[in-house]
Amino acid sequence: MASSFSSATSILVVDDDRDNAVIVRDLLEAHGYTVYVAHDGDEGLSMFDEIRPAIVLLDVMMPGRSGWEVCHAMKQHPSHGRSVRVIMLTALSAWNDKQAAIQTGADDYVTKPVDLKGLLNCVKRNLALVGPPA
Amino acid sequence: MTPSILLTDCRDPDLASVAARTPGGRVEVRSSTELAAAIGELHGVMAVVVASTDPEVVRAVAERGRLYHAPVIVACRSELACRLAMEAHADEWYVLPASVDEIERRVRTAILRARAAEVAEANRLERVGFESLLFDATTRMPTLPVMIERTRALFKEHGELVIFYLDFIRFAKIEEIYGWEKLDDVLATTAEAVRQFIARENLGDMRMMLGYTHDDDFIFFYVPERDQRGTTEHEITEVAQRLHRFVGMRLEDEHGDDVAALFDIFVGSAHVYHNPKVRLERLIYRGVREAAHTARSIEQRQRARKVTDLRRLLHDRSLYVEYHPIFSAETGRIFGYEALARGVARTLRSPEVMFEVAADADLVWELSRLCRARAVEGAAEKLGEGQLLFLNADPHDFTDPTFGNFDAIDPHRVVIEITERTAITDYPAFRERLNALRARGFRFAVDDAGSGYAGLGSIANLEPDFIKLDISLIKSIETNFIKQNLVETMVGFAREQGAMVIAEGIESAAELDTVKRLGVPLVQGFFLQPPAGRRGNEQGKNGDRAAARAAARRIRQAGTQVRRRK
Repeated sequence: MASSFSSATSILVVDDDRDNAVIVRDLLEAHGYTVYVAHDGDEGLSMFDEIRPAIVLLDVMMPGRSGWEVCHAMKQHPSHGRSVRVIMLTALSAWNDKQAAIQTGADDYVTKPVDLKGLLNCVKRNLALVGPPA
Repeated sequence: MTPSILLTDCRDPDLASVAARTPGGRVEVRSSTELAAAIGELHGVMAVVVASTDPEVVRAVAERGRLYHAPVIVACRSELACRLAMEAHADEWYVLPASVDEIERRVRTAILRARAAEVAEANRLERVGFESLLFDATTRMPTLPVMIERTRALFKEHGELVIFYLDFIRFAKIEEIYGWEKLDDVLATTAEAVRQFIARENLGDMRMMLGYTHDDDFIFFYVPERDQRGTTEHEITEVAQRLHRFVGMRLEDEHGDDVAALFDIFVGSAHVYHNPKVRLERLIYRGVREAAHTARSIEQRQRARKVTDLRRLLHDRSLYVEYHPIFSAETGRIFGYEALARGVARTLRSPEVMFEVAADADLVWELSRLCRARAVEGAAEKLGEGQLLFLNADPHDFTDPTFGNFDAIDPHRVVIEITERTAITDYPAFRERLNALRARGFRFAVDDAGSGYAGLGSIANLEPDFIKLDISLIKSIETNFIKQNLVETMVGFAREQGAMVIAEGIESAAELDTVKRLGVPLVQGFFLQPPAGRRGNEQGKNGDRAAARAAARRIRQAGTQVRRRK
């Protein structure tokens, strides 16, 4: 099942703010990426398991499971946890938050409100570190 | 919220009637090309009816529907369209013209089927969740509940189970110093080495596991043959010693001497006998706790022996000092040396172990004094013109009235490193002492900066001349942009404070490249040059110079590679 979705440039966006998710999806699709959107942590984890995306863009402040919790769970995934790049979307930019992000295994972060150009650069630099599809 | 939207690309009024039979139901119409995307965007889609004859549209809608758990029904205008719906794995289809009742039947069936699939998916996810708790991804080992199941029948049949508990007492220290990623690597190496050891020693049916995922102690089950005599304490000790040597060597090869010096293993064992009156799991849990307790008791006995070793060390002054060079990232020249004390006795080689034992025996001041005295003695020969000596100190040392009384070295050439990890309890008194030492010419470095959650404010309070970044921030920094951002912030902050940042623990060219690019002015690490005067690396001054030249070359090359990439 996973193979029909997974691709070296597939991106999973997990954000409970639907408007924000659509803006991010449209931007990334316009640049040729395959984008899937989930609106909460559980949905995100379920789709992660199915899609095996190269990158996950993950909102921190979500109802239910927080982005930190979801990031930690994704990074624990037995076969895909080590290769996925997780980018946190966060309004928090303090030193402590970045340390918390490292603790959960996150690879990068983008500060909210999202600057689209910055987001695109962030996606590109992380994709550059993803190996060719297995 | 119950899904109530019937999404479609067709303006058939019958669909509105079908939707109306669901409480709150309504139809949303999108163009055929927008239909697939709308499935992910709209919240509360109960089903999708696609009437397009374009095979691409039908396929895209069916695939999207599967991903978002929305059942897809195809309204077919021909037999060919039915085949297409089947090939696209649509949940249902009907042939036009169709009555409202027939359409409703198809839609309901598809919804019920999708719900069943969703329940199955939830169960599957739950299973995946359980599996991730039952197997440890880092060490590829099962956890205790799995091994209880696997051993249950054999244990019942043979009536006896021996449980061994491998307590790696200082693995927590490795995590504290180097971060969790490093300990994960060390645990993976350890697990592999233990597997090799079991195979090599022909230890038979030893079943290896962790208590919980990501735990840092190992457990073994061994079911002896019925007529086999029991394993003696002496035999366990002998095997444990061989295991200690074997794993220690593997760790030294893979992770270096400093990590290997923190490796210490204590093996406890417990015999469990099958008793049909007692639940088997509880028998085993009690056995595991007993084995862990035995391992800790052995460690306590060893600790008492180590205190005796430490007293001898202090009396004989039997510790030596290694000097770990710190380089200028710009010129590749040696800026200074960090003095690292090592015990001559194997059991006390690691400074962490020495100080841990000293704290138990209330000998911290004595040990600190000896370390500093030895470091200063050797520095006279070691330090070149303008080079500085970096000495590690604990805030506790500052209360020692003799602290800073060095005759053999000018205080202007000494940098005192204070770790951010140890809490400073009496801040005003500490600050007063610090200022007095600063007035005499001593400089200060905050060590392990960025390891705690204290942030930059607490660093600024100490007004350091140098800020040494915590090793965990440097590990794999080339692939972690959050670490890069933190280091960049620290470099900017240090500039404002008039301090210099030192990146220690550099183990690869990629790490060196990255910290240079981020503007870190001083670098230190095994990749550049290991501490001089190490065992097996005693090459004298010529060897030192050659190693320093090689390091300078690496630092300069790192700059070139960065420029080339740009």
